[in-house]
Order: sequence, then C-alpha cells, then structure tokens
Amino acid sequence: MSGRRSGAGGRRNGAGIRGPHSALTDFLASHNISAAEIRDSYRQRMLQAEQQAAQEQEQTGGGETQDNGEGPSRAADSRPEEDIEEQEEEQEEQEQEEVVAESSTAAAERTRKRKREQEEAIAKIKKGKTAKKGATKKKGKKKGGSDDEDDEDFDLMDMYRKAKKLPGQLENCEICEKRFTVTPYTKSGPDGGLVCAKCGKEMAKEAKAAEKAKKPVVRRGRRKIESNKLDGLTFRGAKTLQQLCIEKLAKHADDIEEFGDMPESLMQRLAEIFSKKRAMNSTTFKLFLQPDVDVVAIHEAAYLETEDYDQIFAIVPGIKKLVLRNCCQFKDANMEYMIEKARHLTDIQLLGANLVSNDKWIDLFVARGPDLKFFKVEWLDAAFDDQAVEALATFCPNLERLKIERCKQLGTASIDAIARMEKLEHLTLRFYQEVPIERLINLIGCVGANLQTLCLEHFLDNSDDPNDHILEAIHSTCSKLSKFRFTENHECSDEGYVNLFTNWANPPLRYIDLNSTRDLDNANPDGPQDKPIGLASAGFKALMQHSGSAIEYLDISSCRHISYATFSEIFDPKTNVYPRLREINLSFCPVVDTAIIAGVFRCCPEIKKVVTFGCFQVADVVVPRGVVLIGAPKAQDAIEQFGEMVMEFQKEVEGVGAGRVVPVMG
Amino acid sequence: MPTPEPSEYVTIVSSDGFEFKILRSAACISGALRKAFDPASGFREQVESRFVLENFPGVVVEKICEYLYYNQKYAEAKDVPDMEIPAELCLELVTAADYLDC
Repeated sequence: MSGRRSGAGGRRNGAGIRGPHSALTDFLASHNISAAEIRDSYRQRMLQAEQQAAQEQEQTGGGETQDNGEGPSRAADSRPEEDIEEQEEEQEEQEQEEVVAESSTAAAERTRKRKREQEEAIAKIKKGKTAKKGATKKKGKKKGGSDDEDDEDFDLMDMYRKAKKLPGQLENCEICEKRFTVTPYTKSGPDGGLVCAKCGKEMAKEAKAAEKAKKPVVRRGRRKIESNKLDGLTFRGAKTLQQLCIEKLAKHADDIEEFGDMPESLMQRLAEIFSKKRAMNSTTFKLFLQPDVDVVAIHEAAYLETEDYDQIFAIVPGIKKLVLRNCCQFKDANMEYMIEKARHLTDIQLLGANLVSNDKWIDLFVARGPDLKFFKVEWLDAAFDDQAVEALATFCPNLERLKIERCKQLGTASIDAIARMEKLEHLTLRFYQEVPIERLINLIGCVGANLQTLCLEHFLDNSDDPNDHILEAIHSTCSKLSKFRFTENHECSDEGYVNLFTNWANPPLRYIDLNSTRDLDNANPDGPQDKPIGLASAGFKALMQHSGSAIEYLDISSCRHISYATFSEIFDPKTNVYPRLREINLSFCPVVDTAIIAGVFRCCPEIKKVVTFGCFQVADVVVPRGVVLIGAPKAQDAIEQFGEMVMEFQKEVEGVGAGRVVPVMG
Repeated sequence: MPTPEPSEYVTIVSSDGFEFKILRSAACISGALRKAFDPASGFREQVESRFVLENFPGVVVEKICEYLYYNQKYAEAKDVPDMEIPAELCLELVTAADYLDC
C-alpha cells in the first residue's frame, strides 16, 4: 500500500548529482525505479509496523493482566521458545475476540503484521540458540498455518549465505582456501561453497571409491548365491573350518611350499579345489606328489607340461590310481615312462589325452594286463580306435569298470570287443558312431547279468521301424543294476519302459537317468497320442512303482510326454512317499507347475535338490529349509528365500552348518 | 567323579600350555569335542571338562576357538561372511579342522 503511494512521488533524483552508477541502476532508472525511493518506502513501512507493534503490545499487556493472572509467572520460568508460543496463543485468543469487534480487513492486516513481528523474534532467538532450534520448529508445527513460517526460516538462512559466484569470477576454495577462477564445471563443496578444480577432482575420486566399495558387495553376493546354489551348497550358517581353510589355501596356492603330514582325504579335497580354481600348474601340482600316496588325481591338468607327467611316476612309483583330466600334453613318451615305472596301477583315467598314439594305448594294455581294474577315457579324437579296445578286451580280462565316452574312432567292433569283458560290473558308453542295435543287445546279453551300472547314452538304431528290443534285453538280462542311465533316445516307446520296469527281477534302482527320451517331431510336439514315444505317463508310473522305495537320484528332464495328471498322482503326498529321493531333475517337463513342486517337497523327506530349468509354470513356490531349487525361470524371487522356511512336515534340520547338501551322485 | 550338571564352560589346552575356556555349546560344534564332552561317553575329558590338543600350538587353538564362536554366531544366518584366516596358519588349521571334525 505504502509502496504505491511513495512510488507516485516521481523522479526526485532525476537531475541530481550522481555517484558511481552501475548498469543495473541505470536500467532501473530508465524504468522509473529508483533505489532511493525503494529505500524510503521500506523505511516508511518499518516505521508503521513499529508503531503498530507498540500499540498492540500495550493492548496485549492489558489483556493479560485482565483475564489471565498466572500468565506472567509461567512466562518467567519457561524457556524463551515457550514464551513465544504462549504469547502467540494468547494473541490468537485475543485476535478471536477482536475479530468480532473490528472490521475484517483491519484484522487481517494486524494478523499479518503481528506474525511478521513474531517471526523476527523467533529468528533472533534461533540465532542465539541454535541448539534449541529443533524444538522451536517442532512446536511451531503444532500451530495451524505455520508451514509458511518454516519456509521463511529457510529464506532467512539463505539471506545470511553469500551468493554463489558466477563462472569467470574469482572465489576462494572451500576446502583448501586457495583462490581460483569459477567455471561452469566447478563443483560445490560439502558446506555449499565452491571448491577449486584440484579439490573437486579429489572429491569426485572419493565419491567414486565410496560407490565402488558399496556396489560389488551387492552384486557379488547375488552372484555367489546363484553359484553356490548351482553347486548344491546351502548358505545357511557358517562354512566348516575345513572348507574355509581349503578355500584360503587355494587362493594362496603359489605360496605353499609343502603340505606336510596331511590326511589323504584332505589332499584329495585340496586337489579338487585347486583344479576348480585352475591353480593346478607345474609348481603347485608337485605338492600332491608324495612318495607314499596311492592316488594322484589332477582333475584339471591343462596347465601341466610333458615333463610334469614324468614327475608323477618318478616321485610316486607306487601309484595305484591315476586320474588326469584335460591332460593335453600327455604324450607317447609319458606313456612309456608310466608303463616302465608305475607297475601297480590298477585304475587309469586319462581324459583328453589326444597325443597318445594307438600303439601306445595297446602297449599300456599289454603291460598292465590282468591288473587293470578300472579304465576310463573320454574326448579322444585322433587315436584310440577299435583295435585299442580289442586289445583292452584281450589283455585286461579283469576289468571291472569301463567308461568310454566321446571317442570318435570307436564303432561296432568296439561294442563286440566289450562284449567279451565278462567281469565288467560298471559300464558307461557314449559313442559318436552309430551302432546297430542288435550288436548292443548282444553286448547286454553277454555282460548284462553282472552289471551294477549301465549307462548307454545316445544309442540309436536309425532303422525305419524303431523297436524296444534293447529295453527288453535289459529287462531279461540285468538283475543287479543299481544305476541305470539310458538317454537321448527317441525310438523306444513308452510301452517299452512300462515293460522294462514291470515285473523286473532287478531290485529297485538307486539312480535313474532317462533324460531326453521323447519324440522328436517338431511338427507334433506332443508326440503320437496312441503310442507315446519315450518315457511317458505309463512308463513313469511303472518306474516309480518299481524303484520308488530306493531311488535317490532321478533325472527325467525333457521327458515331455509325461502328463500333468501323472505328475500329480505320483507326487501326491497323501498316497506316496519316496523316502530316499535326494535329487530330482524335472527340467523341460512343461506341465510341471508350482503344485507339483510342492508335492515333490512333501513326498520326498530327504530331498535336497530340485532342478526345474524351463518349467515356466513353477512360480512362487515356498522352498523348505535345506532344499535347493534350481532353474525355475518364473520363481526367481521365491528362490531368494531358499532354505528359510521350516515346513510343517519337516523336522528341524539338526545343527547342520553350511556345506554340500547335495553330494555329487556317482 | 562325573558331575550331574555339566559345566557351562570347557577348557581347551594347546600343546604349549595355553588354556582356552569356551562355552560348551560352542565346543560341541566340533564333532571330536562333542564326543569327548558327551556326558554318556565317560571320557576323562568329560569329567574334567578339559581337552588337550597335543599337536596344535596356542595360535592354532585360538583360531579354532574363534571359529567355534563364529560358527555358533552365524548358525542361523544367511550369507555368512567368511572368517578371516591368516594364510600362514591355513595348513595347520586345516589339519586341526580335519582332526576335530569342524
């Protein structure tokens, strides 16, 4: 109001003598705005406000004595903040009374002025007593319409702060207090000021470091959890001290001079973890060579050189069991040295030994002869042909375990040779070349009766009229099996599996792997309905009927033709229990859903690991404590709670620490 | 004399004579100690609540006791941080862990 009035006073300073002028003053003057006028009007307003305040003070003072006798005494011993509050309350009361008498406009004006005055008082107190600032604010908030007051607090604070310098101007750094030129890239310091380029860089560095220190913890945790889960490790509770030490040792593999007197079982575990961490090299692997050991098992020998292999037989001539995986540099010369030195070998596993020639393999079999009990080769491309297998069959009649997988040169002649190995108890075969199914049936007929393990992977007939003769042969010949694997077959029918498992003289099996036995016609993904191919509903029922009581490991991944009804019938907790089942793989069985997985948890009291890759209907399943659920693309959140829940059907898992809950099933 | 009420603490003694008094519940995390302190076993260790680790020096036994408490503390926890083990103790410690079954 008053501003307007004085503004009408025109250009008093228009032709006067001027002091130094800034561009802004000139600009304002050209718009009829003068600094002097603004100052004058401000003074006028202040004066008015003071007068009014004085009047009011008188009024309130009178009011207090009149209608509230105890007011002053309370004010005397109360703190200043409370004082103000009270004053305000009283004023408000007074205001209400006045409102009746006075006109509304005048009242409003008064209220505004009074408020401003109070605020000034508050600001003063705040300046003096910063410690009690919080209390004032809290109390202020209790009052109605005091929000804008809070805002003004900040405005007041801002007034005391220096304006920020613009780019190009000079400023003192907030941290090092050096003078520097402000640029658009200048950073602000912790207290709101500006900092110089050097300090800014350091601040950025620190911020980055702090961020780095935070981030990986989260990410590694998640990754580690997933990794452990795939390894079948629980992560509830602490690791065993052994585990901790072994991990630490693997980390410092290069610094170890010797293991000293260490139990052999521990040495084996160390060898495994060294291999896993790829710490097995020419230096570290010598740690495992001690003259008195029986076993040398290097599960990852890719870093070893030709000379290193000779060391094994030089240092450990009494070696009985040799395991070398990825022994790419194992050559003829090493084989010769082994034949010469290691005369007690009964158990040889050489995987990926591609530099050994056919003749040397034969030499080995001749040399080891009847002593050889266990022989395993894998991933051999160039050498190791049918002749070598013939030699093996001829010279090593006492062979009990034989594993030949992925050797490119082997064909039907090898199958016939293996048929002559009458003492075989464990047989695992996986060939690249096609083998007529009748030769395989002949093999089973010859050696099947004694077998405890039979693993036939990817054996197909490829005739026009697929049949189940091989399953029939197994049914009629084998009666001692405990581990059975028959995979990647799209020829044998469901009926064949039903016949295999029905009235089988073989006792219940411990280990069954029938993965990927299904029809392979992508135009008809459900397979023929009348005569299902592969392990389907009826076959699966027969399987569980036969082996449910003893089964520990079951892999039926990709057995697509098993129906939902069958799954829910087999994993119905009311009727069925599989007391020993520890691990089950239901991957890529599309019908498997949350309910079935829950049924699995309830039917199998010993279950430790459930694999459900590609089971898109599994979601939100509650995983019981001590169980690992892997895969389950739609249940990632649920899997997070792995091991948390103690189900009503579960007995509390007794004091087991973290460790491998799921042993690698042999 | 077998006491009817087993003491709350047991003593583990190292080869060089250091004595470590730890909670019985923590000690029983180790399979070997659990057997030794089993009231039904009647071993002398049980009677005296004292177990001598003749092959391991104080530093190792100290670390073992630390581990036992660490294990007890994190028995129910998820994502347990690994205990810090000095590299130079690892070999002895792993042998001790094997012996004590923990």
